Amino acid sequence: MQTAQHMLRTGRRGSLFEFRMAWRDFHTSLERISLAWSLAWHDVVSRYRGSILGPFWITISMGLMVLGIGLLYAQLFKISLREFMPFVALGIVFFGVISSIINEGCETFVQASGMLSQTALPMFTFVWRTILRNLINLAHHLVIILGVLIWYGYWSTMNVPLALAGLAFLLLNASWISLLAAIASARFRDIQQIVVSAMQFAIFMTPVFWRPDGFPARHALLVFNPFNHMLEAVRAPLMGKPVDVETYVFLSLMALVGWGLTFTVFALTRRRIVHYL
Amino acid sequence: MKSPPVSISVSDLTLRFPVYGVDAKSLKKHLARVTVGGRLGSPHAGSTEVTALSNVSLELRAGDRLGLIGHNGSGKTTLLRALSGAYEPDEGQIDVHGRIAALLDLGLGIDPSATGLDNIRLRGRIAGLTAKEIEEKMDEIATFTGLGPFLAMPLKTYSAGMQARLAFAVSTSVEADVLLMDEWISVGDADFQKMAHRRLLNLVERAGILVLASHDTELLRLYCNKVMRLEGGVASQVVSIRKLNELLAAA
Repeated sequence: MQTAQHMLRTGRRGSLFEFRMAWRDFHTSLERISLAWSLAWHDVVSRYRGSILGPFWITISMGLMVLGIGLLYAQLFKISLREFMPFVALGIVFFGVISSIINEGCETFVQASGMLSQTALPMFTFVWRTILRNLINLAHHLVIILGVLIWYGYWSTMNVPLALAGLAFLLLNASWISLLAAIASARFRDIQQIVVSAMQFAIFMTPVFWRPDGFPARHALLVFNPFNHMLEAVRAPLMGKPVDVETYVFLSLMALVGWGLTFTVFALTRRRIVHYL
Repeated sequence: MKSPPVSISVSDLTLRFPVYGVDAKSLKKHLARVTVGGRLGSPHAGSTEVTALSNVSLELRAGDRLGLIGHNGSGKTTLLRALSGAYEPDEGQIDVHGRIAALLDLGLGIDPSATGLDNIRLRGRIAGLTAKEIEEKMDEIATFTGLGPFLAMPLKTYSAGMQARLAFAVSTSVEADVLLMDEWISVGDADFQKMAHRRLLNLVERAGILVLASHDTELLRLYCNKVMRLEGGVASQVVSIRKLNELLAAA
């Protein structure tokens, strides 16, 4: 039996109180993370209901893109396939994770308006739902990565623990951007279009399809591009290369500042978000 | 563990509803307003505030069955949503001891393309049941819906009545101390309605507190022992149901 619960809701009692309530929301959502998991799982299952391959369809389309771009650009830029193919494959798959967590973040609260307006479910639950849904999709795309890494013989040199740590850094940053996008686009419906365009632009400005060798190593496009660092933290270890310390410093600082900012915005707008919808 | 008794305590609850017009939702218009110093039109151009509830206070203990009456737009649903924890008060406070179940919208969390069984699981999770609890209750819920083999079919193949049966069966399968209802739920054909009625009564009896918003005074007399009237967001005293006529006449 569940023990009796206590719910206390009050008017504004200063910013400190708002932060405490926001923290409680975060905390409750983690206690009930299995709900977020159920919702995410349901999203994936229901999106591909009636389809035999399900999410593997995206995997196939990504795989074709990797194959096409890999073969063509390796030829154009005169790079060996063994070097370029895994680079492109990892780039496309993990940039896909970043961009869909952020793009779908715009829908996080809008989609959940029914539940948010008549239950006391924590709002963070829906943020985790978006992230977990994309992790489930990523699990499908691992086929491409494993295929390429094994085919080109990277399996012996890859550093999986470091890559997982890199993925954690990636998620830590993608998640706050996703939440910020969720709040902003609940309030202003144009935000989603802006975010989608920005991510479209970012994929070309980030070394996903092209290798950074052509640039001086300290080029601003590489040093100040957050997506470059997020990608590099996962891609380099899988290709058996070291990751710059600079990348970890950048990602840690970005996560700290980003979460600080986003959590503040969340704390201050939390009670209003349901009315935006 | 000894848990504190079921209670609802609302004091000086004021809830304002910002209405973000279509204008306010456009970023461009918002920016335009900011760049001209926020003086385009009224200072709150595009967003108007509606005071949905003002200074509502009420105390309920175990055994109280409160009926809410009032015209459309008087704040009944808003009060129920505030009690469910979805809306945060702007002023005052709401203090609820006990597990809350809000039967405000039967369609909540229902996915038409999923099967009946999947919908029961999903809906149960949203209502706060664990996966294990749902599996334990599954048989009972499935039997109650009377849908039999249809449960393995997608919900979109159901008639409206069948969908309502399913939604009703899941929504009422929760154990709650505080039950919030917007109108007495009545679904299905005559036979099902009788069963549904019994089930709901059963739920109400087990719950410590019922808050029911309704326009049907006969219904309120039947199920409630207290009544409160809302008028433009202002609440009357909570009085005994025997004084319902006086309350209605006072309007």
